[in-house]
Amino acid sequence: MTLPRTVVAPPTPGLDVAISLNQPASAMVRGGPFLFVSGLCAVDPDTGQRLRGTTASETRLILSNLQRMLEAAGSSMQQVVKVNVLLHSMLEAVPMNDVYAKFFPDPPPARTICGARLPDGCKVIIECTALA
Amino acid sequence: MTREVIAPPRPGLDFRHHYGHHQSAAIRAGGLIFCSGMLPIDAETGERMHGTLTSEAHVIFKNLKLLLESAGSSLDRLVQVHALIYDSIEYDVLNRVYRQYVANGPPARTVWTAQSEAGFKLQLDVVAAA
Repeated sequence: MTLPRTVVAPPTPGLDVAISLNQPASAMVRGGPFLFVSGLCAVDPDTGQRLRGTTASETRLILSNLQRMLEAAGSSMQQVVKVNVLLHSMLEAVPMNDVYAKFFPDPPPARTICGARLPDGCKVIIECTALA
Repeated sequence: MTREVIAPPRPGLDFRHHYGHHQSAAIRAGGLIFCSGMLPIDAETGERMHGTLTSEAHVIFKNLKLLLESAGSSLDRLVQVHALIYDSIEYDVLNRVYRQYVANGPPARTVWTAQSEAGFKLQLDVVAAA
């Protein structure tokens, strides 16, 4: 049995991580019943320019971009099953969580948070798996 | 297809209630169970159980067993594990305790060094077959 694997184009050019972050990655890939979204950092959705800010402002921008991407792919924030949040410091977990709670439904998806060294001065990177 | 929320099997494992985390304990979808990052928390009280990496691993696996079994799965049905440790020097220590819980056909696994909340030494991020 072979399930389809489809690369899903992002809704705006700035959200194409292959261009904005120069990554050999697709922004979204549909595989089986799932939609896998690449780790997103805070970029302008139209130009792809990195917008540096606080952990809270970067989280807000990432999740608003994520919402656009999921909806363009026929999914939604309600269909997200798992989120991984990478922070530049675990001391910033509370400001991230406060913004995060405004974007995801109740009950929310499963989630793992960790502190890690992030590329390009990012304060937050968020990746997720959703039902397609 | 819809996602199904798995409730915390014990009061201590309700991270939303104890710590305000906007996350469900686990989600079942597409034949898989996705668990939130598992930490060494007392399953009854929610108290943080800081210790050695080994003692934290025992608490985490005990909690993971409760969570997966309440969802109709089990430790034997793990498919993927991300083990986040605070320092790579503990790699062999992790393996020693880890082996006790995944005796038969261990799941795919990646280990890396990262900070977990509250200075915990270990966090397990897992996916199991439903």
